Amino acid sequence: MMPPRTSLKRRLTLWLVVIVAGLGTLLLIEAYTSARKAADRAMDGQLEAASLTIAESLQWPEGNPTLEMPASALQILATRWQERVFYWLQADNGTTITQNADLPITAAMQADARRQPVYLDAIHDGEPIRLSGREVDSAGWDTQEPVQLWVGHTRHGRDLLARELFRKSATRFAAMVLITAALVGIAMHTMLAPLRRLRQALRERRAEENSPLMLDVPREMQELVETLNRLFADQRHHRDALLRFIADASHQLKTPLAGLQSTSELALTSNEPGVWHQALVTVHDSAGRTSRLAGQMLSLTRLQHLGPLHERQPLALDRLMREITVDWADRQDSRDHDLGLAIEVPAPVWVEGESWALRELLNNLIDNAFRYTPPGSEITLALRGDDAWVTLAIEDDGPGVDAESLDRLTRPFERGHRQDTHGSGLGLAIADSIAGRHGSRLEVSNRAPRGLRVCLTLPRCQPPEGRAG
Amino acid sequence: MTRRLHFGLGLLLSLCLGAGSSGTARGDERLIIEAALDRQIVEPVLAAFAAENPRIDLDYRDRSTLEVDRRARDPESPPDVVISSAMPWQLALSNDGMAQPLDAPEADQWPAWAKWRNEVFGFTFEPVVMAYRLELASHMPPPETHRDLLDLLTRYRQWLDGRVVSYSPRKSGVGYTLFQQDARYTPRAWDLIAAMGAANVDLEATTQRMLEGLSDGRYWLGYNLLGSYAMVWAQTHPDIIVQVPNDYSLVMMRMAFVHRDAPHPAAAKRFVSFLLSQRGQHILAGQTPLFSVRDDVVGPYTAQRLRDQVGDHLYPIPINATLLAFVDPLRRQAFLRRWDRELQILEPPKP
Repeated sequence: MMPPRTSLKRRLTLWLVVIVAGLGTLLLIEAYTSARKAADRAMDGQLEAASLTIAESLQWPEGNPTLEMPASALQILATRWQERVFYWLQADNGTTITQNADLPITAAMQADARRQPVYLDAIHDGEPIRLSGREVDSAGWDTQEPVQLWVGHTRHGRDLLARELFRKSATRFAAMVLITAALVGIAMHTMLAPLRRLRQALRERRAEENSPLMLDVPREMQELVETLNRLFADQRHHRDALLRFIADASHQLKTPLAGLQSTSELALTSNEPGVWHQALVTVHDSAGRTSRLAGQMLSLTRLQHLGPLHERQPLALDRLMREITVDWADRQDSRDHDLGLAIEVPAPVWVEGESWALRELLNNLIDNAFRYTPPGSEITLALRGDDAWVTLAIEDDGPGVDAESLDRLTRPFERGHRQDTHGSGLGLAIADSIAGRHGSRLEVSNRAPRGLRVCLTLPRCQPPEGRAG
Repeated sequence: MTRRLHFGLGLLLSLCLGAGSSGTARGDERLIIEAALDRQIVEPVLAAFAAENPRIDLDYRDRSTLEVDRRARDPESPPDVVISSAMPWQLALSNDGMAQPLDAPEADQWPAWAKWRNEVFGFTFEPVVMAYRLELASHMPPPETHRDLLDLLTRYRQWLDGRVVSYSPRKSGVGYTLFQQDARYTPRAWDLIAAMGAANVDLEATTQRMLEGLSDGRYWLGYNLLGSYAMVWAQTHPDIIVQVPNDYSLVMMRMAFVHRDAPHPAAAKRFVSFLLSQRGQHILAGQTPLFSVRDDVVGPYTAQRLRDQVGDHLYPIPINATLLAFVDPLRRQAFLRRWDRELQILEPPKP
């Protein structure tokens, strides 16, 4: 079992929060600046109106500009928020015409205002104010000098207006966030529903159940369900194979046991020691075969239940083959056959493997060849290959098997339709299991013109330290 | 041993007395009020405030409007509260940042037309009136409107020559404001000024001086007097008739604010709040001729009662930024220049 990891919901929520917070900050900053801009745009109109009204009243009675400050201009400047109002008029020669405050107007600001009306923020008396400056061209009889006209007011109304606009934007944004959160919550619940259904379906399955899941899930999850169904199918196959093996094994054991029973029953009905002896010989042979069968079944089961290869170590395959060939040549079983060894690669041939398993494999292959070939057959244990790979093969010139049985030969209790031997039908299955443990497969093929070849290919490896290559 | 004990006791006693006097005696906190408002008129209000706040030591300084303005702008020794009838100057002080907002329920509830920026509050409602001697009525029809006044000045110039008095726009902020406001409403005001000039009008700095001149018999006719003073005067001088003009009557409002740099801001705020409170306004309406602004105050001198008596042609001088134009030096110069010109314009040919 895996330990519980982060929740999908929590991760989604976290992402959303991060995105909303980031976007929200940007949006709120934008909303604040645009609210200020909007307020400034709206209120700068007042500055302009006041400025124009004052400009209209400017006159040049005797060569000096003079002004009867229009009361309405100041009221326009004050706005309904009752701002503090400021004005400052300067003639072109630098003399102040009139002013009601020492405004922080620099030469640069005046130069800007000379080109076109300007609106800008400033600080006066420690209070932020908004100023507007423009140059007024006015004609008199004696002089035609432009006049710089600056008006300004405090920002109270602008701040209120901007705050109100900002509050509206922020409220809209907050509402949007809440709605989004609710929608996302609902969406997440809906999206995760198939996952919950799958979990429910899996929980409700019984251990032995392995029929495919029939669930209505979105396309994205279909793959997961298909994978699960493949897993179930594999399990089903495996289980079927196991059941078949048990049935086959029982059957295989039943036949010799029945033979034993009938032989012993027959002998018991006789009083002749000769018959008993004959029966005992039969019983002995049969018991031996049965015992061997049981042994092979045990070894196959063990092989299939062994874990992955652990005790792999470099071993000289050619040496092992030679040992085993010599061993078999000494046995009585081989007297009817011609067992040969053909090492066709430069020795020694090092492969990684389990010594006992490879020995078992070779024994099984040779035993098999002896059993299924007629006496006098030629059986060759061969080792071929190149620098990287070696192929271990056992070849005979027996009858071979028909083509459709070839693939099934490595299954337990498969004898290629031969009922004429006392073989258990497990030899090739065991050999295949061992080949599998070494990352290879048993390949069975007919030889031309006749005979059978069983081979497996193994990778060569470096000789162990201290041994010459 | 005994002497030392005595000495110690004495020290202890003096310490106790010292602590006691600073803790309980009246005059913990001073309150400096620079006001262009006669002390004797406003005395009931001051007395009531002092009675309610025994620990506040009132320093009430009665001055002319222009002097009040000068004092308020003096950065060395700022007053706590500034009261003046020179409305444009008061508003200019607020515009220059000399006032601080009053954060009090009385201030919040004060009618919007009678305050500016929640800093400056018009707390009286004083009509501007004409006044004449009783004997004038025996020679000519007494004036009831501005037009009547102009007619009198034109038709009876010989009679009125040298017997007309009005506010000096130069010497008095109130006078300047009233004439500016007159001229704002109608250009005929200049005709009136010209007519007064032709009648060799005398110009005084205060309503008090005008009233004294009328009682002396020096003047027969006064124009643009503060009704608050004139009505009180007329009560004790039956030969003086006070006429609230029937066409339109300006209303002047005394304006009070707490100075930005008030050395005793708490007391200052309490005082201005008191002026605006129902109690303060009630005293104003009952015991002074200053007329209360509040609608919920009952008494002989209230804005409401004045409206009921003279009709709805009362025109309070608006408390807003337009007043700032009056204190613009150029505009003031231009106005005074025109004033001088108009006074001379009908100069009768010298015999």
